[in-house]
Amino acid sequence: MKKIFKLLVVALIAISLTACQGAGNQTEGTQTDSPTTGSTINVYTRDASSGTREAFEDAIGLGEDLTDSASEVSSNGDMATRVGQDTNGIGYVSLTTDFEANNIKPLSFEGVEASTDTVLDGSYKMQRPFKFMTRAAGDFESDEKEELVQAFIAFITESQEGLTVVSEAGGIVDMSNARPWSEVAADYPVLNSDNSAITLRTGGSTSVEKVVSAALEAFQPLAGNVQYAMAQTGSGDAFPRTLADEKDGPNAIDIGFTSREFNDEEDVSGAMESGEICKDAVVVVVEASNPMTDITTQEAYDIFSGTKTTFDAE
Amino acid sequence: MLASAKRIKRNKTLDRLFRYLFMGMAILSASFIVIIVLFVCAKGIAPFLPGYEYGQVDLISFLTGSVYRQDRATYGVGFIIINTLICSFLALLISFPISVLTALFIAKIAPNKLGKAMQSVIELLASVPSVVYGIFASGVITAIVRSIAESLGIATFGGSSLLAVIVLLAIMIFPTLTSMSITAIRAVDHDLESASLALGATKTQTNFKVVLTAAKSGIFAGAILGLGRAFGEATAVSMVAGNKLFGPTFDLFDITRTLTSTILTGLKETTGLDYDIRFSIGLVLIAVIFVSNWILNQVKKRIGNQV
Repeated sequence: MKKIFKLLVVALIAISLTACQGAGNQTEGTQTDSPTTGSTINVYTRDASSGTREAFEDAIGLGEDLTDSASEVSSNGDMATRVGQDTNGIGYVSLTTDFEANNIKPLSFEGVEASTDTVLDGSYKMQRPFKFMTRAAGDFESDEKEELVQAFIAFITESQEGLTVVSEAGGIVDMSNARPWSEVAADYPVLNSDNSAITLRTGGSTSVEKVVSAALEAFQPLAGNVQYAMAQTGSGDAFPRTLADEKDGPNAIDIGFTSREFNDEEDVSGAMESGEICKDAVVVVVEASNPMTDITTQEAYDIFSGTKTTFDAE
Repeated sequence: MLASAKRIKRNKTLDRLFRYLFMGMAILSASFIVIIVLFVCAKGIAPFLPGYEYGQVDLISFLTGSVYRQDRATYGVGFIIINTLICSFLALLISFPISVLTALFIAKIAPNKLGKAMQSVIELLASVPSVVYGIFASGVITAIVRSIAESLGIATFGGSSLLAVIVLLAIMIFPTLTSMSITAIRAVDHDLESASLALGATKTQTNFKVVLTAAKSGIFAGAILGLGRAFGEATAVSMVAGNKLFGPTFDLFDITRTLTSTILTGLKETTGLDYDIRFSIGLVLIAVIFVSNWILNQVKKRIGNQV
């Protein structure tokens, strides 16, 4: 009994000593007088499976150079909360985040402020497109399905209702040319029949999943209860499964999505329809009292790779 | 006569029927454990076997690694194991004395009504869902840790830290530990106490030297259960741990990463190796819990044998 207690006490002392030592080391490295300028930057990042992280790292060309001392957060909201509570914090969130409520300040990127307008006109660069491609005309299981795919594409790219759903799911869309759904739907008589025996299959980018599932959910009651099956596995699977070698295999899909521009190997000229659904933008954020207002690609790279560890005095 | 013989026969059949029904249920519930273990094992071991579809992972560097980076496909959980042990044992160390003294108060010292009221409060605490503890921790505990750190001139990640995890876990295992201790203390034979008092020991002496000594086995069982909860807690811990990419973490104000928070973070969005490796971490967690329970049980046996 006594022996065990002695051991426990020794362990406790050992641990608290190491803890104190660690804390002591850190105190030496920080200047206590000013909370923001001069003290170590705390880098926040999303977990590696996040689409926002992918978009951000692509935009600044970070690759695998993220600093080891970053803290991983679990969601967009988590990121906003944590950066908002940390005067030395820096992170990135999607443009649809409520900045004020979380006490965070969005930084302009390369001098351009992030807003729906600057994203849509292309001047704000920390963004990526969500694109789609369908199977070739006549290559669908039935004519009804082909028409339903056309109707769905029209729903998410032209109708006010569809675009609203997309923007509520986080996509940035241009609503100026949108028409009411009743007007768009008139072109597709198939919508009036019972389509519950037809299943639309979608695939491709996982980042687009949220937008697509919201849109399909809203589309279902408008299209004779059409069924859908989503198998979002990655942008790279969109093209082969709609238009190339996997299109007749077990993973075949009707509409494929990518969260980037189509590359040279992806020749979508054969598709019945292809184009863009919306844009996705990422914003670098700091705590509201941070004097920083703008960040460049180089600066973002330096901070997130750990070469720059303190905020400049401004 | 005939009627009663029939009834006896029918009752016998009924008995047998129910026996098989109960046996079936027992087999079903036992097979769940087997299925779960087999499934987790199959998934968790796969990444270390040659010919694994996403590229074989080296078992040694997995178990001893000090960097966990999904983006670089570097999976080392050695430091995470150490972090998990530190968090859980320090939490137990804080919670243990508080719980035992609380239990002593409720079971022996408090007036009957007050004791009952306090016991229901503690039972209530045990039934609070862990996510609620998590919200409390990320809102309140982190704020306190942050202000302590600021007053010491230490920079923190907004209060998310090893210290916050330890305090959170200490609070979470407190009800388990206390309830078990109360039961153990209540079970102590009254004659023992009376004897101690009759020999001239004071109430306090009796409580510490006789009651606690007699109840130590049960109290220790509570500690083992509490530690199990500390090891297994995922939701609340990942809300305040901060998920550091390397380690181990010894600094109380630095962020940390536990086995459970590693499994949980980003689980829903991931596929491939990054998904399968979480089963391997699950296996490691099971092994860690198993080993530490075994050690504690040995300690418990020893303590139990000494009088």
